[in-house]
Amino acid sequence: MKIFFTVLSLFHLMVAPAYSQEDGLSGSDTGKTLYVQEETLQPSSAVEDNDPFEPVNRVIFGLNDVLDTIIFDPISAVYTEVLPQVVREHIGYVLRNLSEPIVFANNILQGEMQDAEDTLRRFLINSTVGVAGIFDVSTSLDIPYKKEDFGLTLGRLGFGAGPYIVIPILGPSNLRDACGRIVDFAGDPINWVAYFADSIFYSNSRTSAQIIDAKSDSEIVADLKKNIDPYATFRTWYSERRKHLIAKGEHQTIDSPRPDDDD
Amino acid sequence: MKKFIVLFVSLFIWTQGVNAEITRAKAEAFMSEIGEKVIYLLTDNSISDQERADQFREILETKFNVKAIAKFVLGRYWKQASEEEKERFLNLFTETTVASYATRFKEYTSERFDILGSRSESDEGVTVSTQIVRPNGPPIPIDWKIFEKNGEIRIYDVILEGISMSITQRSEYASVIQKGGGQIESLNLALEKKLMTPKK
Repeated sequence: MKIFFTVLSLFHLMVAPAYSQEDGLSGSDTGKTLYVQEETLQPSSAVEDNDPFEPVNRVIFGLNDVLDTIIFDPISAVYTEVLPQVVREHIGYVLRNLSEPIVFANNILQGEMQDAEDTLRRFLINSTVGVAGIFDVSTSLDIPYKKEDFGLTLGRLGFGAGPYIVIPILGPSNLRDACGRIVDFAGDPINWVAYFADSIFYSNSRTSAQIIDAKSDSEIVADLKKNIDPYATFRTWYSERRKHLIAKGEHQTIDSPRPDDDD
Repeated sequence: MKKFIVLFVSLFIWTQGVNAEITRAKAEAFMSEIGEKVIYLLTDNSISDQERADQFREILETKFNVKAIAKFVLGRYWKQASEEEKERFLNLFTETTVASYATRFKEYTSERFDILGSRSESDEGVTVSTQIVRPNGPPIPIDWKIFEKNGEIRIYDVILEGISMSITQRSEYASVIQKGGGQIESLNLALEKKLMTPKK
């Protein structure tokens, strides 16, 4: 039984809304040495992605795409078809509410006491007045949800992203964030409750629900897939997204096109 | 000590604000005008697909600095490209952008476009923060990077939920070109092929 749980856990720890909400990729150093002959050309910073496992990653990315097409897209389609948007939204709230304890833990680890207080209030209010999280009362009380995870905590502590990794089923990640997921899973009190109660059913349904929830409302992700090289697009998307989340609202001047003399 | 820092920082921000005030106000007005146009395009169902695409192309050509964006997304390959290749790329880039946004627009029904504020950047540009409020789902935050050159205000980058579209596009194109043996033509061919395939 416990072994079964462990296997499930491994699967589960990778879950959490995989694409749209929270992911972003890796660092900006090292990169490809494959194209050395370019010394003569102007170096262009963001072309370098820390992706030493690119061939393997591309294979997993391809497999994930196949899995999406033959398994998750049909499930999402049925899910979206059967349940009205309002219901799906509230399912999303319940799942999000269950993730608040781990967000709280990360708030504490980051020393963000105000955030910790907000998260705790959210969890208490939504779990009671919001009927087990079905209603997100807190947001209407002006305490909006702020996602945190251990990958972000590590990032703020100054850990680099490490090499880019594509995780089976869940997609884009990097060494730091993948470790973060493991810690988040192991540290999630709700998982511990399920573990001691031997509630495979619970853990199983939460996992499936999270996957379906994450995959069913991601228009942006669907758009990215139409690009010429979706793999490269997702890699940058993930990286930039995580950088943005780590910076946490603090404004950064992003490298962008700008006027120059000959246009 | 802390008070001093706060005072100093706010003074700094304030003086910065004074210097760039005009540009920021202009930038916001500029964005709000475009926002209105785009929302009209989004919500008016009587417009045909062709018309919508045409109007979007017009906005792109008159309000964005497409050439500067194209140059940026090609990165180091821009210098490598021949004039002919550059021109072909510029055309294809414009067309794929129009195609992908025009189809995206169709899915919207009753959106609202809000200007949230703006800030001057160290590179002399202004970032205008906006959001698209949708009836279904949370608002989408979009930032616009704007520069003024020779009296012309233009958009140079679109930053969706903190992610620069230009940077994303640049790494995608770099990857396509690298796979094509470093030839810009391989990207042009891929873009051409994408334009030919009918949208789902």
